[in-house]
Amino acid sequence: MKATKTLLAAAAGLAMLGAGAAHAATEITFWHAMGGGLGETVNAIAKDFNASQSEYKLTPVYKGGYEETMTAGIAAFRANEAPNIIQIFDAGAATIINAKGAVYPVASLLNENGVPFHAEDYIAGVRYFYADSKGDMIGMPFNSSTPVLYYNKDALAKAGVEPPKTWEEFETIAPKLKAAGYIALSQSHTPWIFSENFHSRHNLQMANENNGFDGVATEIKYNNEHMRMHFSKAREWQQAGYFGYYGTKWGDNQKPFIDQEVAMWLGSSGSFGGLKSAAKFDFGTTNLPYWNSITKGEDYTTFIGGAALFAFSGKDKAENEGVAQFFKFLTKPETQFFWHKETGYVPITNAAYTLAKETGYYKDEPDAEVGIQQLNLKSAEWNKGYRLGYYVQIREVMNREYDQIFAGTKSVEDAFAAIEDGSNKLLARFAKTVQ
Amino acid sequence: MKRQQFDHISLPYLLIAPQLAIIMIFFVWPAAQAIYQSFMLEDPFGLASQFVGFDNFREVVSSDHYATSAVFTLVFSALVAFLSMAIALLLAVKADGIIHGQSAYKIMLTWVYAVAPAVAGMIGTFLFDRSIGSLNHLLNATGWPFNPQLDVFDASFTVILVSVWKQVSVNFIYFLAGLQSIPRAVREAALIDCRNGFRRFWTVTLPLLAPTGFFVLVINITYAFFDTFGVIDTMTRGAPGGGTATLVYKVYQDGFLGADLGGSSAQSVILMILVLALTVVQFRVLEKRIHY
Amino acid sequence: MKNVKPLDHLILMLGVLFLLLPIWIAFASSTHRPETLLGEGLQFWFGDYFWETYSAVLLDNSGFTEQVNALLMLENSLVLGLGFSVGKIIISTLAAYAIVYFRFPAGSFFFWIIFSSLLLPLEVRIIPSYKVVSDLGMLNSYTGLILPLIASATATFFFRQFYKSVPEEILEAARIDGAGPFRFFVDILLPLSRTMIAAIFIIMFVVGWNQYLWPILMTTDESYFTVVMGIKQILNDLEGNRIPQYNKALALSILALLPPVLVVVVFQRWFVKGLVESEK
Repeated sequence: MKATKTLLAAAAGLAMLGAGAAHAATEITFWHAMGGGLGETVNAIAKDFNASQSEYKLTPVYKGGYEETMTAGIAAFRANEAPNIIQIFDAGAATIINAKGAVYPVASLLNENGVPFHAEDYIAGVRYFYADSKGDMIGMPFNSSTPVLYYNKDALAKAGVEPPKTWEEFETIAPKLKAAGYIALSQSHTPWIFSENFHSRHNLQMANENNGFDGVATEIKYNNEHMRMHFSKAREWQQAGYFGYYGTKWGDNQKPFIDQEVAMWLGSSGSFGGLKSAAKFDFGTTNLPYWNSITKGEDYTTFIGGAALFAFSGKDKAENEGVAQFFKFLTKPETQFFWHKETGYVPITNAAYTLAKETGYYKDEPDAEVGIQQLNLKSAEWNKGYRLGYYVQIREVMNREYDQIFAGTKSVEDAFAAIEDGSNKLLARFAKTVQ
Repeated sequence: MKRQQFDHISLPYLLIAPQLAIIMIFFVWPAAQAIYQSFMLEDPFGLASQFVGFDNFREVVSSDHYATSAVFTLVFSALVAFLSMAIALLLAVKADGIIHGQSAYKIMLTWVYAVAPAVAGMIGTFLFDRSIGSLNHLLNATGWPFNPQLDVFDASFTVILVSVWKQVSVNFIYFLAGLQSIPRAVREAALIDCRNGFRRFWTVTLPLLAPTGFFVLVINITYAFFDTFGVIDTMTRGAPGGGTATLVYKVYQDGFLGADLGGSSAQSVILMILVLALTVVQFRVLEKRIHY
Repeated sequence: MKNVKPLDHLILMLGVLFLLLPIWIAFASSTHRPETLLGEGLQFWFGDYFWETYSAVLLDNSGFTEQVNALLMLENSLVLGLGFSVGKIIISTLAAYAIVYFRFPAGSFFFWIIFSSLLLPLEVRIIPSYKVVSDLGMLNSYTGLILPLIASATATFFFRQFYKSVPEEILEAARIDGAGPFRFFVDILLPLSRTMIAAIFIIMFVVGWNQYLWPILMTTDESYFTVVMGIKQILNDLEGNRIPQYNKALALSILALLPPVLVVVVFQRWFVKGLVESEK
């Protein structure tokens, strides 16, 4: 009696398994680095995608910070366990794009799996950063952001000043903010904001081989007079009490702004959503300042930062089709608009930007438009992006040296000489690995 | 080893097989790969690699940051070992002299052993936080412009303090056991011969405790080298200026985060040699102890 | 020696305070709202939000699968701690038995191979280890999580030392009684090692529970997340944007340290013995 029951149960179980297999959706894995509230938004998008169709089932996995996610992806690829999609940040782009055969370029993936791809659909600033020198997109831009200036309206009103457009203006208002009891400025990512985007904002070359797009770059151009001038100024500002440097961690530099010790903060356009919930004061957003003395009045665009999604190669056709469908879903204007609204990251397609404008979102939230407007500013020779090997470690080198500049333990000249030397060694190493 | 033993042909192999298999698969093989990688230059994805001889080692050794990290590791290990041993020894000597409540003290002084380094590091992060950290506020109130985000000295102070905090318990256990293994007769004789407690400690107790002390020292150096990884990763991540990255943390940073397999493998091999040296010393001393 | 020494007690109390205070502050602060902590800093006394914080941390599901909460993470840590300690004790008692009680040609060679595993901690050979585990198809499994960690000979070493300290007469007597290697091991040696096994069990449980980097790399499946991994994740989240949930982060750290600390406190005698014996 008992035995038959067990048998029956087992048979029923098997039957259910069989039934499940017949209708099983193709599984797609997606490793990302979006923690906290951002991660919840990623999960929401994944759920919407899964609900929108029944052929594919997407599972997002949070793998930690950007570096950890990239490493986990590399280790998994080496072990033939790679996920279908991985989120790789700007600094890691060269590593994955130079790995010939590891990724399935997004343009080809879409075209070969029934989703026509048109580069013109994407906003100009986004189009080239993750593309090869011919302009074919290799990674799908995902969380795209750019550095902007946030300012505490109360603080600026108290000091009777306007947010600065240029660093020259900053120098005139900083003493007034100090007199009003504030440190004028802090910023959250020295390599990203004060180095990479400094070059774009002033249309300066970052590295040889067309910033690494035309070939493997071997020479970094950071040790130039403009950078040295900017960091000498920043160090002076710091000593005068106009600029607060709180180490290399993102949050440590943002917190004084939230705590209203610091009047203006350079962060990511993607910080907007979080800042709105954390700040207990009225804040505004404006473009990243530039040196008028360098650009001679030109207002150049900044780089797109954040991260892109890459599809690993060597997967089943069915899975690749699923990835293509997910990318299609992700770039839909509605999805992009949702992502833009929830997080503050910029919409990556023209259609999504138009949708956001049409719904009147920017009338209610003019600050949310600053990032994308800045990305649509004048583009010239050196604003497309950069592609440098071992760039994660190069940023590490920069952080180490910048820490020492602002701790007063190293001169600006010595620090930049060390950055040049350390970076070029890393670039040379990387060049050897890919040849 | 002059003891009696069984003679059996297959049984010992059978007994040792599981351990040996696991070690071969999960230790020897990966370690051999690390050694192999240290002579290769490879792209992160493992698509192409080439033999480069000792190039990786040369680059590691000639790098300024590696030198900084090596110096920090030495200073850090020395300070962690010294401070945690000194505090533990003081507590052990005091606990040894107490009759009532000794077991309560023992419990209250040993539980920290069970706290994970990463957990200790996280609590430390909060205590030293700029805006919410009580310790940060306290230190600032003393007039010390305490700034671990920027000042290497201050940052080192935080990781050393947390690492010491975490290690006092183990050292206390060893020292107390060491003290209590000193024969009663010796102690009583010392008590009569030497009435000054401080001098008695230096002339009688400390020499008798020396073997334990040496053993504890080796344990502490190993701890400072390897087990503080969680503390550093949660607290400073090697910042500021790369000034708090231990050698092990640097292997992780370059190899794990930076995807430079060859360079970090070379660093691993250097560490292997260091630990080998340390182990030889430890073994020498342990052997001596057995015949002591 | 017998008189009460107030100064000694004072020093010991200070020692106790030094060790206890950080945890006290962490615990007290975890019972406040994050806004309070952000505004007034860490707290030295308890707030009114103990249940709110802890039930949220323990039971509120997060993650894509909506299955991850601290309760699940604690469960995984328990499996890791127990699997690690039991596995290690089984293989190391056997191996140490072979090394100490048998005369076989390859014995000392094997001993050195096993011993070599003390040389290199997992952190510095982690990428090749990951590859081995994935080649064996063990990613996202308890086996893959535990086995590579067992590949260190600490416990084997402890048992070897312990067996060597067992008086020779015992083996002689057993032989006269006609006991073979199997009976000697099961009936005599294991019972003799009881406290040693208990002690090593406790130490290894703590070591296993506290594993940090390996589980982070190894597991992509949310259902295998451990509580110490949770610490890393929650720290990453603090770097994010919203109001930092300091209270929950601290509550998680209290939850992560409580089980191993309780084990060590409750089994204090064995644990101390284990550490001290292993030194010899």
